Amino acid sequence: MVSSSVQAFEPPIRTTSNGPPVLPPPAAPPGAARPRRNRWRDFLRQGVPAVWFTGMMACWIVLLLIGMVTLILTQGMGHFWPATQVQVQTNSGVFLGPIRDREEVPVDDASREAGEEPAGRILLKIGNRDVHGLDFRWFDGADIRSETQPVHAVVVERREYGDLHGYLQRVQVGEEILGEGPAAWDVLQREIRLANRQRRALHQLEVRYESIRQPLTRLERELENLTGARGRQPGAAERRAVLERRRAIETARLESQLNEIDAARTALHEQLAARTAVFITADERERTVQLDGIVRAYRPNRMSTPQKIAHYGAKVREFLFAQPRESNTEGGIWPALFGTVMMVLLMTVAVVPLGVIAALYLHEYAKQGPILRAVRLAVNNLAGVPSIVFGMFGLAFFVYGVGGVLDRSFFGGALPNPTYGTGGILWASMTLALLTLPVVIVATEEGLAAVPRANREASLALGATQWQTLRHVVPPNALPGILTGLILAVSRGAGEVAPLMITGVVKLAPALPLDGTFPFLHLERKFMHLGFHIYDVSMQSPNVEAAKPMVYTTTLLLLLLVVALNTTAIVVRNKMRRRYRGAAL
Amino acid sequence: MSPAPSRATKTEPWAIETRALHFYYGNVEALKNITVRIPRLQVTAFIGPSGCGKSTLLRCFNRMNDLIDDTRAEGFVLVDGEDIYRPEVELETLRTHVGMVFQKSNPFPMSINENLTFGPRMRGIRDRSQLDGIVEKALKSADLWREVKDRLKSSALALSGGQQQRLCIARTLANDPQIVLMDEPASALDPISTGKIEETIHELKRDYTIVIVTHNMQQAARCSDLTAYFYLGELIEIDRTEKIFSGPARQETEDYVTGKFG
Repeated sequence: MVSSSVQAFEPPIRTTSNGPPVLPPPAAPPGAARPRRNRWRDFLRQGVPAVWFTGMMACWIVLLLIGMVTLILTQGMGHFWPATQVQVQTNSGVFLGPIRDREEVPVDDASREAGEEPAGRILLKIGNRDVHGLDFRWFDGADIRSETQPVHAVVVERREYGDLHGYLQRVQVGEEILGEGPAAWDVLQREIRLANRQRRALHQLEVRYESIRQPLTRLERELENLTGARGRQPGAAERRAVLERRRAIETARLESQLNEIDAARTALHEQLAARTAVFITADERERTVQLDGIVRAYRPNRMSTPQKIAHYGAKVREFLFAQPRESNTEGGIWPALFGTVMMVLLMTVAVVPLGVIAALYLHEYAKQGPILRAVRLAVNNLAGVPSIVFGMFGLAFFVYGVGGVLDRSFFGGALPNPTYGTGGILWASMTLALLTLPVVIVATEEGLAAVPRANREASLALGATQWQTLRHVVPPNALPGILTGLILAVSRGAGEVAPLMITGVVKLAPALPLDGTFPFLHLERKFMHLGFHIYDVSMQSPNVEAAKPMVYTTTLLLLLLVVALNTTAIVVRNKMRRRYRGAAL
Repeated sequence: MSPAPSRATKTEPWAIETRALHFYYGNVEALKNITVRIPRLQVTAFIGPSGCGKSTLLRCFNRMNDLIDDTRAEGFVLVDGEDIYRPEVELETLRTHVGMVFQKSNPFPMSINENLTFGPRMRGIRDRSQLDGIVEKALKSADLWREVKDRLKSSALALSGGQQQRLCIARTLANDPQIVLMDEPASALDPISTGKIEETIHELKRDYTIVIVTHNMQQAARCSDLTAYFYLGELIEIDRTEKIFSGPARQETEDYVTGKFG
């Protein structure tokens, strides 16, 4: 068959051959004997629509990915940049704050006939929640009389009531005035640093007080447990007498120490209460703020670009490593980040040995047959079980079952308050370990299947036992596959939220599961998690507008975490491949 | 290199002997009543068309067939006079004693050195200088020492196909076997590499008993002392190689070796 592409380079057969033409060139006019080619049928037969269709679908996926990443990046990365403060004079008053949104207000038909132009409106973060009751407000373009960008506008990040927008009036300690007006700016910054240092010192004092008082607290809790029904049990009265005597001894022993700390604490408290700054808002109201209640104060309209970058860096650092404030809409997400990573680590520690060992048995030792096929089917199906089902199982089995038994056997003193009999990081990790177990088993089996039969035979033919073969010959070939599976499991575990909600995740955890007090690792503690944090801040927050940037930023972080995990996995796997496979391949 | 004293003092004249050996894959009888004797320190070649059972028989000599599910052997296989299908036989010892080289070279994805020391290490030899000695001796026997002595630490998979196969031979020799089974060791190689393997076999004959399965009749004629012809699971004839190729006793053998059949 002479194809058209060949024709372009060679003369048609007819002119070169002596005999009659074997095939007419396709371009020749259709003879009466040859039916006309059906172009439409050819089009379908060659699958052109299929190419278009599949290509289009692939494009959709790419667009979706790009859109998702762009949305999260743009929304998540801009939040920490100090936005220009705009003072807006409106018919309903004067307001100061950054413009968060602008939109067109559609006009109805009647107004359009009357000749009205569509007007814009702006969303201003007005701050000063203690004054206005809300942080954000829309202003109609028609209402706005003037917009200015005052140089001395100050944003004060407070520990309570959100941001304060206004102008610095004065800084004072008690009645003594340290500085007045915009000139007092440097004094304010210095005093804020000082106040925050004192605040940290106060916190340390509290911690020391509690740790010294610990034996006393424990006795008190035991005494409390002896009231009510337990108090009427035989022997309770004697026990109470013993405890009370011990309490008296402990009190006498610790009293002087405790009083000392108490005095220092009170002194610090008074000092902190005396340090204040007075601001005046755009609508001429005076607000007095205690200096230790200020996280930071800055003047966005006066900042140079390097200053803004430094501010951005400081905010990012705070976001990553500080405690959340204002019902999670401000401050950092450190506990959630820490909780997520720690939970993933615990989960990995639990799931890896279990899954890999089970897969080793299934693949290497178990006799092939209907039972093994059934087990494999079950494992594969387990991977498809909705995660909330695992959550329910975790709640019933780990929390109430195992946790209940642990409580009754080892933590009877604390009952009826549960120790392990309630959700906690250990049970959440175990539940996720179960959830990711099938992934690990399947991946490990696939990794083992990737070991060439020739290598196993060579090993056995050299007099190695089955176990030696498994230990020395299988890993180089199987490890990349196994690792890939582990990482898949880990990144799935990192993003899972539903089962955690019923096995130990909380909106706000009072303490991290790992800290400096004995026994350092507190597996029974509840914890925070990035995924749940996103849900909580976006859906359960009292202040939706304020929470929005936080949601995107946290999402970005979760995404980065998962991407980082996956990238590590790929790098490790490729390295391993190179190491074992040699340079030739 | 002189043969180990144990080899010289062996009283049993035959390295391997089978008596009425039948072998089954499920219900299929792959070997039918094979009785054959393989002499010590000689090269014996198994020839025959595909599916005639020559590889199966070879894999009976070190019980590699055990790895295949649903197989069974009846009859006797004696290696140095000992029945290797008795249950108390330790497979690891047997396979150290009877080494095997496969059709496709199968070095482990490790360094050359690790490949060669694999067998000795599995038997518990840890001493570095002893292992180094084993490596050198094995590589010299397989005629590979000059080519790889400077890169023992690099990956075995970076070697050429022929080198890989000679590495596999060296790896088998590092186990200090008395019998080496070769299952079409040169069938996947180019003529030059094949020639080198054949030279190696010729050298090894002084110290090892070699059984080689081959599809290539010239190869059998060139490098073996004895040749056995198999057909459909039966041993048709075994004799001196010259005799098989010049005037075999059986008509079928003559048809096969002269190319009338096969």
